Amino acid sequence: MPAITTIGLTKHYRTSALPFVRPAPPIRALEALDIDVREGEIFGFLGPNGSGKTTTIRLLLGYIHPTAGAGRVLGLDIVRDSVAIRRQTGYLPGGIALYDSLTGERLLDYLASLSGRPPIRRAELCDRFELPLRTLRRRVRDYSRGMRQKIGIIQALQHDPALAILDEPSEGLDPLMQRAFYEVLGTLRSEGRTIFFSSHVLSEVERVCDRVAIVRQGHLVAVEEIAGLLARRKRNVDVRLHGTPPRLEGVPGVSGIQITDGRLTCRVEGDMRPFLAAIAAAPIVDLTIEPAHLEDAFLEFYGGTGA
Amino acid sequence: MNGALFRHTWRAQGLKLSVVSIALAVWGFLLPVVYARFGSQFRAVFDSGILPAQFARLGAGDIFSVPGAIALGLIHPICIILTSVFSVGFSAAAIAGERQRGTLEVALARPIARRIFYLTLLAATFGFVAVTVAALLTGSVTGAAFAGVIGEVPIRNVPLLWLNAVLLFGAFASIGLAASASFDRVAPSLGVTLGFVVLMYFFEILGSLWPAAEKLQPYSLFHYLKAKSILLGTTTREDDAMLAAVIVAAVAWALVVFPRRDLAAPS
Repeated sequence: MPAITTIGLTKHYRTSALPFVRPAPPIRALEALDIDVREGEIFGFLGPNGSGKTTTIRLLLGYIHPTAGAGRVLGLDIVRDSVAIRRQTGYLPGGIALYDSLTGERLLDYLASLSGRPPIRRAELCDRFELPLRTLRRRVRDYSRGMRQKIGIIQALQHDPALAILDEPSEGLDPLMQRAFYEVLGTLRSEGRTIFFSSHVLSEVERVCDRVAIVRQGHLVAVEEIAGLLARRKRNVDVRLHGTPPRLEGVPGVSGIQITDGRLTCRVEGDMRPFLAAIAAAPIVDLTIEPAHLEDAFLEFYGGTGA
Repeated sequence: MNGALFRHTWRAQGLKLSVVSIALAVWGFLLPVVYARFGSQFRAVFDSGILPAQFARLGAGDIFSVPGAIALGLIHPICIILTSVFSVGFSAAAIAGERQRGTLEVALARPIARRIFYLTLLAATFGFVAVTVAALLTGSVTGAAFAGVIGEVPIRNVPLLWLNAVLLFGAFASIGLAASASFDRVAPSLGVTLGFVVLMYFFEILGSLWPAAEKLQPYSLFHYLKAKSILLGTTTREDDAMLAAVIVAAVAWALVVFPRRDLAAPS
């Protein structure tokens, strides 16, 4: 059973209009979204601001109602079974707002009591995010942005949900805490939990996700396996030479060859061995092979299709 | 009802509830004392005709008897302002405020139906109103005892007055909470609720001071607060039924509107 399924999920917002004034056209926030998120995977949901990521999440959790289409989360209908869905999920909203007058500990206790499930993961998460008890006993209003984000992540995961929906989760975390967060995601995946992960940071998605969906202007542009995408992506090669450059025309996977003043640049896709064999006898002074980032891969694959 | 939300709401409002309750108790205490100390002088002033007779009965209250003084205490602007801290201020901000701050989506990420969320806040609000009105009436009875006029207070009717006042301020709270469930921001929610209460108060006071405007009074919810009549045992429960009907209508509105609303991401 997929953890999340949407079929033609659509959301149009009606714009309010004054009486006797012609109503403005609706805002088309999401158009006919079809996705399947498998159980136990980390699914990245990528797109620029305003692309429909948050609208999708809010539809899945019942904050807003679909204009058309349907969706199921953990086998439950997103309209009829919203409460049951939220019983089994953890949610980190983007730019989370917290009850500032409470201490971190009180806040987590309160949210756990609303969940109706014991916070069995809290101690482990506080340990990983370096939030000692004395910090948790300070009021939330005194927390930095990064600490608030840590509390946000903990409140989403402390009751060990079967599905975690995280909207821009690493925002505000320093690199060390980002690494700790990725480790937490890895642990959850190894325990069979499903993570739905919204982000606009491609490198982050590349690092932690199994699959990724791209949305743009409310439309689904692509759904790809990260591993497949990375395997297909091109590598940027920069070779410095002291002599005649090797002939690379016709070498499988090599493209974009440019030779200028003892420097050869090209792009290599797929198996590297034919390329390495072709340059083996060349008078190389220096060689740099840099994998293209996921961003480049996406631009390459979907740049011409509206992505 | 959700126990955790209820406890959290009460805990968050505890200090404010204490301050308002003490202030209302002090206010309630003062009126019988003022009656006992200056009641006869006030009557002499009004009997002399220096002041128009209408001024002697603000709303349904007066200063010529203990029940009248207690009734005056309930309809006086000071009491209205103090009780409005919860019946208007808290209720109008309870949901819209959480929505505006962004904490509503954190709370609603939990397995709580919106109807349960609303009904829990409604119960908490009625609790606040019940406590503040009880503090006022406790202050009044204590004041009457302190001033030596407790014999003029029909104690057995005080609970009925408490119920009538709770229904009045509860009606305002229900309207505030319905507005709060309907708007994304506190300002329009508070504006609608406050405007409603001010209009109701204007109708009642204008009608009591100006005979030609008396026909406006039935349109005011304050008209159904019959403090003096209840204490004297000369009224029926129809006023309570009218206030209860308003509460039911406001609750029904909120129960229909709130679960069906789209709660888009806070801007």
